[in-house]
Amino acid sequence: MISTTREERRWFVRNLAQGLADYTGTSEPPVPVEEMLKHPPGLYQNDFGVVEMYSSLWDATFARPLTQRGNVFVHVNLTPEKRRFALARETLSALITSKQGRALGLADLLLSELRDSAECFARALVAPAMMVEAYRKRGGSRDDFADAFGMPSEVAAARWDEVQTTVPH
Amino acid sequence: MSMQALNQLVARSIVDPSVAQAFSNGTVTSLLDNFDFSDELKTRLSDLHATNFAEFSILAYRTVKAVEEITQPRIELPSPLEGLVDDRDQAADDEQVA
Repeated sequence: MISTTREERRWFVRNLAQGLADYTGTSEPPVPVEEMLKHPPGLYQNDFGVVEMYSSLWDATFARPLTQRGNVFVHVNLTPEKRRFALARETLSALITSKQGRALGLADLLLSELRDSAECFARALVAPAMMVEAYRKRGGSRDDFADAFGMPSEVAAARWDEVQTTVPH
Repeated sequence: MSMQALNQLVARSIVDPSVAQAFSNGTVTSLLDNFDFSDELKTRLSDLHATNFAEFSILAYRTVKAVEEITQPRIELPSPLEGLVDDRDQAADDEQVA
């Protein structure tokens, strides 16, 4: 695999997120991340799922037991905003380890800095660039951005700046 | 426009298995026909050598970015020395000195 920069990997995962967001057919926030994981594209029937967990080691983590369907295990007591973002973040691991993800070569590109790529992916999935731009055109403010898209405020702040500097994604 | 086309191609790859298949079958050129790339760029992208679609995407990103940087008009900023002093003020100053 060729060496890549963080900017290149972020560009790539933002577009993957856009592809999934397009799949949900949603034009208004919030993007139904959990619904997508529970009713995935046919391609990911064996890769997406959500299981509640009580362990407080993680907010969420993806796991794929041998020969079984992969699932995102998510802590039961998260706020809806933190839950949506954590599920979105772990979706990238589900994609990477899926048959389709292996065919695309996602692991070679993304495993080296998985955390950064997964968080960038999640920001773009919960707040796709086109929705953010539409929100701004309607006069939506930075202060209300997190509530409008259903995401944690620190994530919203990062995404707001990101879309400003990286249009179209 | 081409970067937008590349964005669409990468976005599609995650939900459409035909993208990875086209890459592994060596039929990337026909895949690119479905997106709004110029003929020259299509040729350049078809000539890229990559081990998988993800690597192809990164090489394509570099190619498209380089082409767009060359073809986009540069913004020409005026010299900081120009326009600081109004011409009429300058003339008045000259007269006073004389």
